[in-house]
Amino acid sequence: MSYFFQLVISGIVVGSIYALSGLGFVLIYKSSRVLNIAHGQIIAAGAFITYALTVWAGIPIYISFLLSLVITFFLAMSVERVFLRRLIGEPIISVIMVTIGLMSIIDGLIYLTPFGSENFSFPEFLPKTPLTVGGVSISWTQLVGVIITAILIAGFSWFFKKSTVGISMRAVSDDQLASMSVGISIPRVFGLAWATAGLSAAAAGTIIGNITGLNFDTLHAFGITVFPVVILGGLDSIFGAVVAGIIMGLIQQFASGYLDGNWGLNGTADVLPYIILLVILLFKPHGLFGTHEIERV
Amino acid sequence: MSANRWLATGNFFTTYREENRIFQTHIDRLVFCAFLASVFVWPLFISVSNKYMLVIDNILVAIVAILGLNLVTGFAGLISIGHAAFVGVGAYTIASFSQVLGDSHVLITHYWPLMLLAAGGMGAVFGAIVGLPAFRLKHLYLAMATLSFQMIFQWVINFMTFFNQGQTIFVGRVFWLTGKVGRRDHYLFWYYVILAIIVIFGFGIRNLLRTKHGRCLAAVRDNDRAADAMGMHPGFTKVYAFALAGFLAGVAGGLHAYLYRGVGFESFTLTQSISQLAMAIVGGLGTLIGSFFGPIFIILLDLQVEQLANLAANFLPSAGNLATALRPLSFGLVIVLFLMYEPRGIANWWRILRSYLKLWPFRY
Repeated sequence: MSYFFQLVISGIVVGSIYALSGLGFVLIYKSSRVLNIAHGQIIAAGAFITYALTVWAGIPIYISFLLSLVITFFLAMSVERVFLRRLIGEPIISVIMVTIGLMSIIDGLIYLTPFGSENFSFPEFLPKTPLTVGGVSISWTQLVGVIITAILIAGFSWFFKKSTVGISMRAVSDDQLASMSVGISIPRVFGLAWATAGLSAAAAGTIIGNITGLNFDTLHAFGITVFPVVILGGLDSIFGAVVAGIIMGLIQQFASGYLDGNWGLNGTADVLPYIILLVILLFKPHGLFGTHEIERV
Repeated sequence: MSANRWLATGNFFTTYREENRIFQTHIDRLVFCAFLASVFVWPLFISVSNKYMLVIDNILVAIVAILGLNLVTGFAGLISIGHAAFVGVGAYTIASFSQVLGDSHVLITHYWPLMLLAAGGMGAVFGAIVGLPAFRLKHLYLAMATLSFQMIFQWVINFMTFFNQGQTIFVGRVFWLTGKVGRRDHYLFWYYVILAIIVIFGFGIRNLLRTKHGRCLAAVRDNDRAADAMGMHPGFTKVYAFALAGFLAGVAGGLHAYLYRGVGFESFTLTQSISQLAMAIVGGLGTLIGSFFGPIFIILLDLQVEQLANLAANFLPSAGNLATALRPLSFGLVIVLFLMYEPRGIANWWRILRSYLKLWPFRY
């Protein structure tokens, strides 16, 4: 039984990070209807920026974490400014293709740095002995990661529910024309959506980098798993992204805990999210919490 | 009485039938025939080393695949981020025959056109399966379905011992009327085979797009509700577009397997899917001629990038993986720049050039 709970714990840890990164993705989709294929690359970039600041520049990790959030915030904002701003009004299909191109560009830029080929791990800054309660253990890194994630998600929910900027973002996602008529600058909201998404992606990247170590392929795979998460939760629901993130984390942990090694299976955690994605698209296309557009085509 | 059919300076169509002609003027037809003849004949006069012949064959295989991708992404307006996986399905169809029957079984060596058809059929089946969500969804979600198919495909190939876990599976040399195709003639032989296939598919698609089965693709892309009102079934049309694209991709995969005499995992990854998308975009989405320009441009660019990386490696010995870095960088830049500054791709330059020549030496 303690094996089961161990899987639950690690599922929640991974899942909460999925939730955080799915949140950024949903944010961009909600405000501008763009599927940001390059989201995984922004996650990786955020993680690498934190590492570079911490180890190469020698800044304490707490400060460098915040610094990297700020840097990625402006990075994502400038990505929107340079590449996507001029495409407003173009067919949505070409905007999505631009994000596919961006994914390729950021990949190339990361391969230019040592991060593309080598493995790194963050220096230990928390106690090494894991916390054990009743046979179930959780490492301090995981615990702190989950706490930071929870705080960030709570912060984002507050931001969207209460702050003026958050409300204007929700207004734009609801009806662009109406929000323009009450004086909301739509390009600014798009830029802010990208910036906030970049911020959450950097946070997710840094936390996952602390837990699993920095390897570009791993982060890459992690970034692509965000797609099944947001589809499961419903593309335009932030709450859905959080719930689906945790569900997906649990499913992955259970798969690697119970399926791998039996019946000649191996690495099922890598493929199960995509099978779930296909099944969901077939049977419940708007996900668990997505808006049902009554439109069959 | 139609206008001058030799040298038309503009469009003087009086009937719908005239507008639907493949060749607007006799000059067009003559130039096309001359071009086709020269493409078939030049290897008789100019001998090319196998190294360059392989590049040409590569371009041709890519053209077959891009014809499919352009059909689904350009004409039907559905983003496919998993086209390399469909190509892989075709290649691995032949690989599984080779695994079960041995790599020089008579079915593989003698009946290779049949094998290519089987590869295409398999691609079509998988294309239709991945396209199934189209019955309930609009195009954005289908991009996700193709992406997840790409990931599932990679996992299956990497983890199943039947597929050699992604290591190369060999495919035997084929036979032609004159006997076994030897090492020296291998690439030349496949040059002709792929060229013939491209001509067939090119004309097939050009004609398909004139019929209702092809025009319904564009109708669903432009406005699915209007298409529905006109009596087309949008969901079915999308599935059918995916199946067609899958068929072309499958044939391309089969050709790839025969050309390299083996199937390996690394030719069908997500990176390949993206470079194929780059080919379709650069060539020009929604144009037939674009499917020819795109692969030529991207594969030649790829070669240049490789040379540049090799050159730079001489000066910067530490930059070992410069090639792996420059390739995605250049593909991404090409995609983004074309979408931002020339969304209609090289096909648009071709169109401009043609209308310029048509009126030369006069102009507006």
